[in-house]
Amino acid sequence: MNALLQVTGLNKRFGGLHAVKEVSFALQPGSITGVLGPNGAGKTTMFNLLTGFIRPDAGTVLFDGQSLTGLAPHQIVNRGLARTFQLARPFAGMTVTENIEVACLAPRVRQSGKPRERVRALLDQVGLGGQAEFEVDVLPYGDLRRLEIARALATKPKLLLLDEPFAGLGAAEVGPLSDLIRRLHKSEGLTIFLIEHKLREFMQLVQEIIAMDFGEIIALGTPTEIVQHPRVIEAYLGTAQNDVSLDPGAGLA
Amino acid sequence: MLQILIYGAVISSIYALLAVGFTLIFGVARILNLAHGSFYALGAYGVYTLTANLHLPLWLAAIISVLLVAALGVLIERVLVRPLRRSMLAVLLITLAVALMIEQVLLLIFGSEARNVPSLVDVTYHLFGVDISGQRLLALGGGIVVLIGLWAFLQFTRLGTAILAVSQDAEAAQYMGIPSDRMYSIVMGVSAGMAAVAGVLVAPFQTVIPSMGLLPLVKAFAIVVVGGLGSIAGSIVGALLLGYSETIIAFKISIEWSQIVSVAAVLITLILRPAGFFGKRAAF
Amino acid sequence: MILKADWIAALLAVAVLAAIPLVFRSSYIIGIMTVALCYGMWAASWDFMSGLTGRENFGHSLFIGAGAYTAGFLNVNFGFNPWWSLLAAPFVAVLFSLLMGFPTLRLRGPYFALAMLSASAVMQNLTIIFSTYTGGQDGLNGLFPILDSTLAYYYLTLGILVASAALLKFIANSSWGLILRAIRGDEATCQAAGINVTFYKIASLMISAAIAGLGGALYAHYQLQVGPDLFTVVLSINIIIMVYVGGMGSIYGPIGGALFLNVLTETLRGLSEFRLWVYTVVLVFILFFLPQGAIAPLWRRIRVAFR
Repeated sequence: MNALLQVTGLNKRFGGLHAVKEVSFALQPGSITGVLGPNGAGKTTMFNLLTGFIRPDAGTVLFDGQSLTGLAPHQIVNRGLARTFQLARPFAGMTVTENIEVACLAPRVRQSGKPRERVRALLDQVGLGGQAEFEVDVLPYGDLRRLEIARALATKPKLLLLDEPFAGLGAAEVGPLSDLIRRLHKSEGLTIFLIEHKLREFMQLVQEIIAMDFGEIIALGTPTEIVQHPRVIEAYLGTAQNDVSLDPGAGLA
Repeated sequence: MLQILIYGAVISSIYALLAVGFTLIFGVARILNLAHGSFYALGAYGVYTLTANLHLPLWLAAIISVLLVAALGVLIERVLVRPLRRSMLAVLLITLAVALMIEQVLLLIFGSEARNVPSLVDVTYHLFGVDISGQRLLALGGGIVVLIGLWAFLQFTRLGTAILAVSQDAEAAQYMGIPSDRMYSIVMGVSAGMAAVAGVLVAPFQTVIPSMGLLPLVKAFAIVVVGGLGSIAGSIVGALLLGYSETIIAFKISIEWSQIVSVAAVLITLILRPAGFFGKRAAF
Repeated sequence: MILKADWIAALLAVAVLAAIPLVFRSSYIIGIMTVALCYGMWAASWDFMSGLTGRENFGHSLFIGAGAYTAGFLNVNFGFNPWWSLLAAPFVAVLFSLLMGFPTLRLRGPYFALAMLSASAVMQNLTIIFSTYTGGQDGLNGLFPILDSTLAYYYLTLGILVASAALLKFIANSSWGLILRAIRGDEATCQAAGINVTFYKIASLMISAAIAGLGGALYAHYQLQVGPDLFTVVLSINIIIMVYVGGMGSIYGPIGGALFLNVLTETLRGLSEFRLWVYTVVLVFILFFLPQGAIAPLWRRIRVAFR
């Protein structure tokens, strides 16, 4: 089966900082893969490179067999690659519905007439159906996250990039969002690629993990393999001994 | 040729005073102060009133005028600008309103005929075969002295360091216990004072009319954009560039072409290198 | 969402404007109102681009002057029939918007504003420098009026203003307007939603320029002369103040603001020195007490009562 996303030799420098160094990996269609790494490892930069918000210095990105190099962000979205942002910045001064309506105007999914039903369906899917007419300025953070996802879904993506979807969420909000992501993966057959720090949820969601540190990929594998990988442990916890278990099986009740 | 060298230096010195003050208040408080030219005009009119009406000696009138304008700057910042700080457009419009008001007040009190301010130095010097008035040389020297003084103030005093801190990161500075609000007022005072110094220095040889602040504002603004909003070094280099290119073009081509240099420079800079040639960032 | 109350109010407003010359049978007043209508076009066009997207343009006079001087050139230098001005002016203004729009719209907030400002200032200087073609400081004189009667010209201007406003409002209420408001909300998110932000910014700048240029030509054929003062920063700022007074983003509010301020400054023409004072006081008042403007917010309160 051909990879949905094929990344080869991705590089980006910011002045003296080599933010992304020779990153290469492939995502299979229908997979759910995660990116792990300490702060500053280059994860969000990599997302920005993949989605066209930053230009790479070198490397190729093939999505569905076609090159994404040099494309503008909106063009990449219209090829079927959608993303959410780490800091959700909705369209202020507009309602929840209007926010999603805008995404429904993307050339990839645009239809004649008002997309009211589509918007309704999307909002219900992420659990924001009740807040459809609210101004986004009053939404709590957790709901803004859902809005981000609904916005990304509106463009009917094949691949969804989630940048720290659980960041800033309280304990009660994490579970439902995790379920939502799982549902989207199963029902829509979406390929999902996410960055996240909340290890417990992360380990239970993903099938494969790409571990990064200082812009490089230091390990690739299943959650069980990754937690035992010496370089990963070193990157996160240093070489001294530790008593925090990264074992996904050890549920913290 | 030497004429250009010396006249260019004089103009650059005055431009530098204006530009550095403008960039200072922008770099520190993010205020695009459209009333900057008014402070320049008030400096000149202040000297005029204090000498002509109150018969004070010129040097004393100069000092008092600068101090008064600085105080006015502080007042304007506290009363008019501070409440509107949220919106840059609002701040811009309020400084515009102040500029309009000041021009109207000057028009009302002094009328539209040019006023005469006596020179501090009445001698015409003959330097390297070029006639140049002592007052112009004083303007050059005075500008350099004030700029060096400002640099020393920012580098070596606690207050100066605090101001630099606020210009880098106002919030972080506040966590360090630096009252950003008060810093803004102080910087506005310094900025206004520098503009007033420029006005005081040129008053004897420039036309003193209520609208005299408009062109200097445009020039200061152009220099600051080219040099980089918030960069003092950039303003000084920019001032030299603009001062000399205007002088050269005015001598060699025409006065009208020299006037386009400033605005053309702004446009080209914004298109090629929006942060300015010495600016640190392109975003606010 | 357009309510019945909106339609009624719009019709009422147009009716009042149409009735003014019949009530005040004075060519002086008709003249003032014609100029005010031109300002209305400039304010509405500014609002369409900058009010909706939040990308404030401080050089709107660039398009006004472009339109006016096009009228001047065609009519005075080349002897074209004045009606051609109305056709050509928007085109030339759009060309200017393309020329300036591409390099500047990618600039962040205030930098875009300043770039447009300096563009208009550069044009102002250029018209003075190339005085052989443009008449320099004195400008071009002796344009022919489009219609011989000032009354008829008032109605022509009114008609064009109403048509322009209707067009702008129609676009603003469509999905186009939704996208422009989203651009104001957050450009990056807009991109991530698959929208070609650059296209919409440039396109709306072009539309804004076309209407402003058309207004410029109308103004030129009223004053029968054009000068470099049509490229000034002062003109751009005055228009922004009118938009501020009317309420940004509403299209109709700025027209109201333009009419109000023009009438106000004319009424106070007698108190020559105090005219600018009042202008300034109005500005300060709005900034401190009515930052959302006066006209549009007021109308929004009223129309709800009619639901």
